[in-house]
Amino acid sequence: MRIGAIVRIVPDLVMGIEIEESEIVPFKYVPNERDEHALEEAVVFKEKTGGTLEVVGIVDDELRDDEAMEEALALAYAKGADSLKKIVLNRRTFDRREVARAIADHFKDYDVVMVGIQSIDSFAGYLGGILSGVLGYSYVGGVVGVDYDGGLIVQKELGGGVVGKFRVKTPAILGVVSAERPITFVPLVKLRQAMKEMKVEEIEVEVPDMGGIEVVRFYEPEKPEITLLEGDVEELADKLVEVFKSLSLV
Amino acid sequence: MILVFGEEFERDVTYELVALAKRLGDYKVVVREDFDDIDGDVIRVERLNWKVVKELHDRFKPEGVLFANAPSGMDLAPKLAGITGIPMVTNVIKLENGDRFKATSLTYGGKVLVDLEVDKPSIFVVNRGYYDPNEGRGTPKVEKLDLDFEDDVELIEVVKPEEDVDISKAEVVVSVGRGIGDESNIELAKELAELLNGVVAGSRPIIDQGWLPKSRQVGRSGKTVTGKVYIALGISGATEHVEGVKAKNVIAVNTDRDAPIFRIAKVGVVADVNELLPVLIEKLREIKS
Repeated sequence: MRIGAIVRIVPDLVMGIEIEESEIVPFKYVPNERDEHALEEAVVFKEKTGGTLEVVGIVDDELRDDEAMEEALALAYAKGADSLKKIVLNRRTFDRREVARAIADHFKDYDVVMVGIQSIDSFAGYLGGILSGVLGYSYVGGVVGVDYDGGLIVQKELGGGVVGKFRVKTPAILGVVSAERPITFVPLVKLRQAMKEMKVEEIEVEVPDMGGIEVVRFYEPEKPEITLLEGDVEELADKLVEVFKSLSLV
Repeated sequence: MILVFGEEFERDVTYELVALAKRLGDYKVVVREDFDDIDGDVIRVERLNWKVVKELHDRFKPEGVLFANAPSGMDLAPKLAGITGIPMVTNVIKLENGDRFKATSLTYGGKVLVDLEVDKPSIFVVNRGYYDPNEGRGTPKVEKLDLDFEDDVELIEVVKPEEDVDISKAEVVVSVGRGIGDESNIELAKELAELLNGVVAGSRPIIDQGWLPKSRQVGRSGKTVTGKVYIALGISGATEHVEGVKAKNVIAVNTDRDAPIFRIAKVGVVADVNELLPVLIEKLREIKS
């Protein structure tokens, strides 16, 4: 069983972003959270099947040496990835069709590829699903668990807490929303050691220009008028108690 | 012509897609289930998988294809975009038809809107809650098509979660998010819930950590809360979460005064929940005693 996992980096919303009309300017990048779940599930699946796990970072040229990508790959190595690749896109694009076509040739020999169902900066496609269409692979998104009984059994969220079990033909791409176990913590010492030891094969690819989607402007949603309480904690607690009283909660 | 693919697992959102399609022009709605009150031309199929989607796309050559941002739509839409290469926009909250489509998408965890112009034909994955489902209800003109293509993905079992409490029916829900910091702090939320005669729930990161059971998850993948009060503690308010918040009164506590959760709140409190909760609980205890 040859297993692949994709990791990407995205703007850190906790650190904040600057919204300009023509672009979003992040202060810092972090590994994409759903890809972290995809990686975790891929590690679980490797443990279940005894397969090999190859983790592929996908990053724009201008961010090829960003520490968040190094961290994402080092986490993968520390968790047991057998090999690491970094695919560098020669230009930045928001269009996942273009990313999928740029990287497709490098995902032709896997049985199962796991990727986060989406990333927080996406508005033009979901990479996993589009890649499956380009490659002619099966695709299931919303994945919360993967088993193998000689064939692939995938658990997918159907909404309202309901989960569907699906039999899926391989090769398959799985859009993971949540790994079946909490993400394992990698201590800083082990992470630093992984950064020193890991070997990453770098591959540069050209991103095709498919056109068809033009960004007119980015902007912040309007803020509705609300009662916003600020101040010291004692004062805020008193005000909240009044709010609770007005709602007959106390 | 607009081609709408109904949502297989969450039926109600299909009516919202129809409401949108009516504003865009002529449309046809493809459904598998027995929808008997969709307004307009309805195509009923035995299976709704990507092969059927591709066949109907090729047959009708629509200028726009609508899917819901829901379990079925999120699988079928990107597959179609990957096969055909036509443009695809996700998290759509507004769509207008003209020489090109004008779409607005909500992205970056609900912190950014982006206006787009999109060539035809194109695919749109539409968020729920932006179009009135009642506008999609009416009298259908049904055509049944025999398109029985086997899929490479086969549903073999549906598993419903074990429920201790149905949070969707609770009048008061105290919900915790990543801002709670540590599992031990959930006890504070539980105590607050108890003092307010409510139940405790959480956003996806809390459920992913295993700090609360799946039955307590609020949002697109979990439950929709519809009671009197929803208290969001340290929850940023990502789109997937706020889609599940339909309570009459939302009170949100967050350190980030720009957190998207404040956009749906009646009362917002800018504070660290872990500093606020002990003080608040103490005051409520005093009142109760």
